[in-house]
Amino acid sequence: MKRIEVKLAVHVVAPLLDLIKGMADSLRSELASPYAPSGLDPEFDAVWSGELLTAQCVDLQVLLGLFNEEFFADGVIALDEDNAEQIVRATAAVRLRLRSQYLGVLGDETLETGNVELEGLEEPLRKAFMCYLFLATIQELIIQHMDGSILDA
Amino acid sequence: MTTGQNKAHGAPAQQGETELALDHGWRVVVLNDPVNLMSYVVLVFKKVLGFDESRARRHMLEVHERGRSVVWSGLREKAEAYAFTLQQWHLTTVLESDEAH
Repeated sequence: MKRIEVKLAVHVVAPLLDLIKGMADSLRSELASPYAPSGLDPEFDAVWSGELLTAQCVDLQVLLGLFNEEFFADGVIALDEDNAEQIVRATAAVRLRLRSQYLGVLGDETLETGNVELEGLEEPLRKAFMCYLFLATIQELIIQHMDGSILDA
Repeated sequence: MTTGQNKAHGAPAQQGETELALDHGWRVVVLNDPVNLMSYVVLVFKKVLGFDESRARRHMLEVHERGRSVVWSGLREKAEAYAFTLQQWHLTTVLESDEAH
């Protein structure tokens, strides 16, 4: 994937960052997606989930690193071959966390379609849903540049 | 993946069960979730499992419409590796033994 620079509206995105960071912090000790143990060996399962958690934390650090001084100065985030996979995974993790922490009340069908009137939501649900949509946009942008055929189909 | 592949097991009884379990086939099953984008799931299937576009899309739709899709089956060690990587990509994944069905 070629390096791309994306200019974001700082005044829109910056207020979402504390929530994204909060979700990332809560994912330091818990996996975003439910872990299904193999059922054969508890020690194996413990090692496995530990390694998944470590990988998840690394990905989340890369995501948070996007919103650095350059972002706050001119709104630009840079995506490239080195960070794209980690960011697309981290955004998935945070979106899953947003669902478990805030958005579950909207129902699965609503989350799948994304059809929600933002104005009809109250805080903190509204902000959580804005984060959810923002991170989906980042994901789609990365997917488009990693493998354009997927979104073209 | 290095997780537990060379690790000794605990009690002899457990060891026997595990060895038996290693002898038959295992299925890697991806379960539906309402969060991950369809395009993301297709991407993951292509990257992790090496599926082509149409196969990845077919399995993604199966997950979406039926709630689950068997994306790989075979020996346990490789099934574990796939399941680990799919979980690293935050797809809800379970391993099922052929013996259980």
